[in-house]
Amino acid sequence: MWLLKGVNVLNWFRNIKSNWNTWTILSILFIVIILLPSLSIILQFAAETNENWLHIKEYMLNTYIVNSVILVLFVGLFTAIIGSSLAWIISAYDFPLRGFFQWGLILPLAIPPYIGAYTYHGILNYTGVIQTTLRNQWDITVNQQYFNIMNMPGAIFIFVIFLFPYVFTITKAFLARQSTALIENARILGTSSWRIYYRTVLPIARASIVAGVSLVILEVLNDYGVVKYYGIQTFTTAIFQTWFGLGDLDSAIKLSGTLMLLILGLLVLERVLRGRKRFSFTTTKVRLLQPVKLQGKRKWLAFGYCMFVFGIAFIIPFIQLIYWAMLTYDQSFSVEFLQVIGNTIGVAFVAAAIITIMAVVISNVSRLNRGLFSKVFPKVTILGYSIPGAVIAVGVVSLFIGLDKQIYEWGFTSSYILSTSIVMLIFAYIVRYLAVAYNSVESGFERIGTQFTDASRILGNNVTKSFFKVDIKLIRGAIFGGFILAFIDILKELPLTLILRPFNFETLATNAFNYATNEMIHEAALPSILIICISAISIYAFHHVLERE
Amino acid sequence: MFVNIKDLSFKYPNATTHCLESFNLTIQKGDITTILGESGSGKSSLLRLVAGLEMPEKGSISVDDQLMAGPSTFVQPEKRGIGMVFQDYALFPHLKVEDNITFGLHKWTRKEKKQRLNEVIELVNLKGYEKRYPYELSGGQQQRVALARALAPKPKLLLFDEPFSNLDADLQLKIREELRRILKATGVTSIFVTHDQDDAQALADQIVVLRDGKIIDLGTPRDIFGTDCDFSDRIAVKPRVLSKV
Amino acid sequence: MYKKVLLYSFLFLSMITLAACGGESTDGGDESEKEKEINLYTSRHYDIDDELYKQFEDETGIKVNVIEGSADELIERMKREGEQTADLFYTADAGRLHRAKEQDLLQSVESDVLSENIPEKLTDEDNTWFGLTKRARVIVYHKDRVDPSELSTYEDLTDSKWEDRILIRSSENIYNQSLVASFIELDSREDAKQWAEGIVKNMAREPQGGDRDQAKGVAAGEGDIAVMNTYYLGGMLNSDDQEEVKVAEQLGVFFPNQDTTGTHVNVSGIGVTKHAKNKENAVKLVEFLSSKEVQEQFASANYEYPANPEVEPADTLKEWGEFKEQDINLSKLGENNAEAVKIFNEVNWK
Repeated sequence: MWLLKGVNVLNWFRNIKSNWNTWTILSILFIVIILLPSLSIILQFAAETNENWLHIKEYMLNTYIVNSVILVLFVGLFTAIIGSSLAWIISAYDFPLRGFFQWGLILPLAIPPYIGAYTYHGILNYTGVIQTTLRNQWDITVNQQYFNIMNMPGAIFIFVIFLFPYVFTITKAFLARQSTALIENARILGTSSWRIYYRTVLPIARASIVAGVSLVILEVLNDYGVVKYYGIQTFTTAIFQTWFGLGDLDSAIKLSGTLMLLILGLLVLERVLRGRKRFSFTTTKVRLLQPVKLQGKRKWLAFGYCMFVFGIAFIIPFIQLIYWAMLTYDQSFSVEFLQVIGNTIGVAFVAAAIITIMAVVISNVSRLNRGLFSKVFPKVTILGYSIPGAVIAVGVVSLFIGLDKQIYEWGFTSSYILSTSIVMLIFAYIVRYLAVAYNSVESGFERIGTQFTDASRILGNNVTKSFFKVDIKLIRGAIFGGFILAFIDILKELPLTLILRPFNFETLATNAFNYATNEMIHEAALPSILIICISAISIYAFHHVLERE
Repeated sequence: MFVNIKDLSFKYPNATTHCLESFNLTIQKGDITTILGESGSGKSSLLRLVAGLEMPEKGSISVDDQLMAGPSTFVQPEKRGIGMVFQDYALFPHLKVEDNITFGLHKWTRKEKKQRLNEVIELVNLKGYEKRYPYELSGGQQQRVALARALAPKPKLLLFDEPFSNLDADLQLKIREELRRILKATGVTSIFVTHDQDDAQALADQIVVLRDGKIIDLGTPRDIFGTDCDFSDRIAVKPRVLSKV
Repeated sequence: MYKKVLLYSFLFLSMITLAACGGESTDGGDESEKEKEINLYTSRHYDIDDELYKQFEDETGIKVNVIEGSADELIERMKREGEQTADLFYTADAGRLHRAKEQDLLQSVESDVLSENIPEKLTDEDNTWFGLTKRARVIVYHKDRVDPSELSTYEDLTDSKWEDRILIRSSENIYNQSLVASFIELDSREDAKQWAEGIVKNMAREPQGGDRDQAKGVAAGEGDIAVMNTYYLGGMLNSDDQEEVKVAEQLGVFFPNQDTTGTHVNVSGIGVTKHAKNKENAVKLVEFLSSKEVQEQFASANYEYPANPEVEPADTLKEWGEFKEQDINLSKLGENNAEAVKIFNEVNWK
C-alpha cells in the first residue's frame, strides 16, 4: 500500500517534470493573463440581485432573448449556406474569374457591419440613390415599406453579407486540402454536383462550417452598432440599456456573464453533438483538389452566383462609400489624418503579432499534451470574444488601475503609467481577439496532426526545435491567417478603442464612428474606405501566401 | 537482454480500459521482433511507449541497459536514440529527400552528413532521388526514404508502425524481403508492429501475438505458425494463432 | 538556440509595446510640461470641438489631451481611476453630468467669468458643471399635410387624431429618455407613463434609425409629424446632399408647450473633476468655451443654441424664432433617467 502510494507520487513528479517545459508555463501564464479581466465579470455574476434585476427580467429579457435567438438562427443558417456553397463551387469548379473570387469573396469581411448597415440604409432610404433617382427621373414615389431595411430581416441581411466570409474561408481551406479523396470518389461514382454538395461536402466539412458559423454568431451576439441603429432589441441592447439607461453596471455585468455562459453552453453542446465524429482525418499525405472546368450555361451560373454575392456584399456598399467620400473629401482629410492611419496600422500590427504568438504557444501546448485539462483549458480563450467589448473594457480598466496603484505605491513611478499608455489598449485587444487567431492556428495544427512532431522528436529534436524546424513551416498559412484575421478585427474594433485608448489617440474606426454616430455618414465614408482598403490589402497578401504553399 | 519491458501498464487519458496491462517482453540484440495483433490490441501504443511518445502509467522500459521510463524516470523521445518508421511515413513535406534523411543528424559535420547520406541512400536503393520532394515519389519510394531517415542517425533500436499498410500487395512482398536484408545487414535491433500474419512470418525472429493489451502467444515464426508454412499457400495454413484469436 | 529565438521575439515585441507606451506617456507624465496641459474626457464627437481646443492651445499654450467615449463608459473609467484621472468631463446630456456629480466625480468651481457668461438655469446648483450649448426637442411636421394650428403640446400627441402619424426614434436614445424624465419631474411618473403609452399607440412605425431618419420618414409620407432635436434639422438644411436639403425644406418646426410648461431643452455641459490635477487650466478652458467668440463658432458650426445669452444663434435657428423653455433644473433629467427607461420598457416602446 505504502509502496503503491510512493510509486504514484513518483509518477506525479515525473509527469510534472517532463510536461512542464517553457511552453507549458508560457501557455498557462498567457491564459491566466487573459482570464483576469473576465474574472471580475464571473465574480459579479454571483453577486446579489437588486431591484433593477427584477425589472430587467420582467420587461427586457424575454423579448430581447427571442430577438437574439432569431437573429443568431437565421444569420447562422444563411452564412452556413452561402459560405459553404461558395467554398464548394470555388474549390471544385473552374469558371471565369475564379482566381479573383478566391480572395475577392473574403473582402466583405473588410467592411465593418455597422458601416455596412449605415451604408445600405443610406442607399435605400428616402434620400438614397435609388429612391432619389426614381423620384427625380421618373417621378415615382415608392412605398417606403419595400425599401425599409431597418428591421429584423434587414439586420439579418447585413450580418449575413458581411460575415459569411468567416464560413467561406474556413470551409474552403478544408475542402481544398482534406476532402480530395472523398470528393473524387463521389465524382467517380457519378453523383451529381448538387448531390455531392449536400450528401458529401456538407457532412465532411461540418466541423469547419461550424467553426466558421460560431465566429459569425459570436460577432452577431456582440454587435451593438447594427442593432442599435436598426432599432432591434437584442441581448446586447439589454446589457447597454441596463448600464447606460438604468445606470446599473453591476446588473449589466451580470447580464454579460449570462451571455458568456450561454455561449460556452452552445460551444459545449456543439462538441457533444459532434461527438466522436471527427472528419478531419490527419493523413500526412495532402493532395489538392483539382477543379473541374465548367462549360456553357453552368459556367455562367457559377460565375453569376459568385458575382451576385460579391456585388451585394462588397461592390455596392464600396461604391456608395466612395461617392460619399468624394462629397466630403476636403473636410475630412488633413495631415492629422495620416497620423490616424499610422496609429491604426501600428497598433493593429503590434497587437495582432502578440496575439498570434500567444495563440501559437497555447495551441501547441494543447496539441502536444493529452488529457482533458489541456484540451479544455485553451477554450477559455473564447471568453474574451463572447463578452461585449465595453464590458471587457471595464474589467481591463479595473485591472490596470489596480496594477498602476501597486506600482505607484512601490514608488517606481510618479503617476499612473500603464493605464495612461497604449499597453492597456493592446492588452484589451489580446483578451478580445485571441480566440480569432487561436481558432485559425488550432485548425492548422489539427490538419497536420502530431505525426511530424513525433517524427522530428524521435530524430532528436526537442519540442521547441521541432516547432521551429517542422511545425511552423507546415502551418505557416494558418499562423499568417490567424494574424490577418486578428489584424482586420482590430482595425474595425470600436468599443475598446474608444474607451481604453490613451489621450489624443485616434484610429480610423473611432474616426468613422464619431461621424456616423452624429448621423454624419458622408463624413464617415473616408475613414471607412481606408479601413476597407487596408483590410483588403492584407486579405490579398494572406491569399497570396496561401496560394504559394 | 537488449530491450527489457517490465510490468508495463498504459491507458489513454479519459479511457476506461487499459491499452496495455502488466505487459512484459524482452528482446535480444539484433533480433527482429514482430508484434502481431488486430487493431485496438494495444500494439501501436506499445510502440509509442517504447519511443517515448507516451508516458506509461506503471512499469518500466529499458533499452541497452539504460532505463528509459520508470517510476521516477522519463527520458524524452529526442534523447532516447531510437528510430521509428511511421505508418504513413510522416516525411516532412517541406524538405527534399536528402534533407529529410539528414534531419536527425545533429552535431555532424557537413562532410560526415554527406557521407552518411550516401551510405543510407545506397542501402535503400534511392540513388538519384536526393533532390526530390516527398510528394514527387511513389509510395514505395517514400517508404524507403522513411526507412533511410530512421536509419541515418544509427539508432540503437528501430521501430516500425505498420510500414506496409499503404503499399500494393506485390510491392509489399518485395519490400519485405529487402527490408529484412537491410536490417540484418546493419544489425539493428527492431520492433515491428503489424496486423498482417505474412509480414510477421516473413520478417520476424520473434513473434508476439497481442490481444486486448495482453500477450496471448510468443515464439519464433515456426513456433507460432507451424513448420509447413508457405507464402503461396496461405489458405492451407492453419496457424496456431487463428484458433486462439 | 530556438528557445533563444522564441525569447528574443518576445523581448522584441514587448520592446515595441513599451516604446509605444513610453512615447505616449511622456505626453501625460512629463513634469515640466505638466502645468501646460489638461486632460479631457468627452462624449462629444464634433469636428468643431477639436478646432476649438486647438484655438485654446494657440492662445494659451495649454495643450488639451482628449479621450472620447460614451458618457457612461467615461464615468465608469473616472470612478475606477480615482485620484489619477482627467481634469474635465464634457458630455452632451445633463443627465450624465448629474450622474457624474452624484458619484462624487466633479467639484464646484467659482468663476465670475462663468457666472456672467452662462445663465444660472444652465448651471448646476452647486456649480459642478456648466451648460455650453442647448438643443431643443421639438415637433417637426410636414408643411402640406399638417397645419401647425393642429399642434399644441407634447401631451396632445397622445390624442387619437395622431394615430399612425407619429415618428420617433427608439427608447434606447438618450434624448427620448431625458424628455420622459422631464415629464416625470413636471407631472408625475404615472402621467409620464400614460404619455409614453399614448405615443406608442400613435406611432406610424416601429422606432428605428436616428433623428434624421425620422425627418426623412415624414418627407416620405410614412408619418406626418416627428419628434426630433433641432440641430439635426439644421444640419439637414445645410447638408452637402441636395436630397437632404429638399427633405428638410418640406418640414416645419413647432415648439410645443409654449402656453404651458415649455419646450424640452437639454444641454452639452462640462465639469471639472474632483481630483483634477490642473484645475486652474481646466477652468480656463471652460471659460474659454463659454466666451462670446467661441460660443458663436459653436452655434454656427453645429446648429446648437449657444448657452451664452449674448450670442445669437445661427440664422437657420433664428428663422424658427424664439421659444419658451421647460423650467426645470436639468439635474432632474439625470435623477429620473432610470425611471424613464423603466417606463419605456413597461409600455413596450422599442
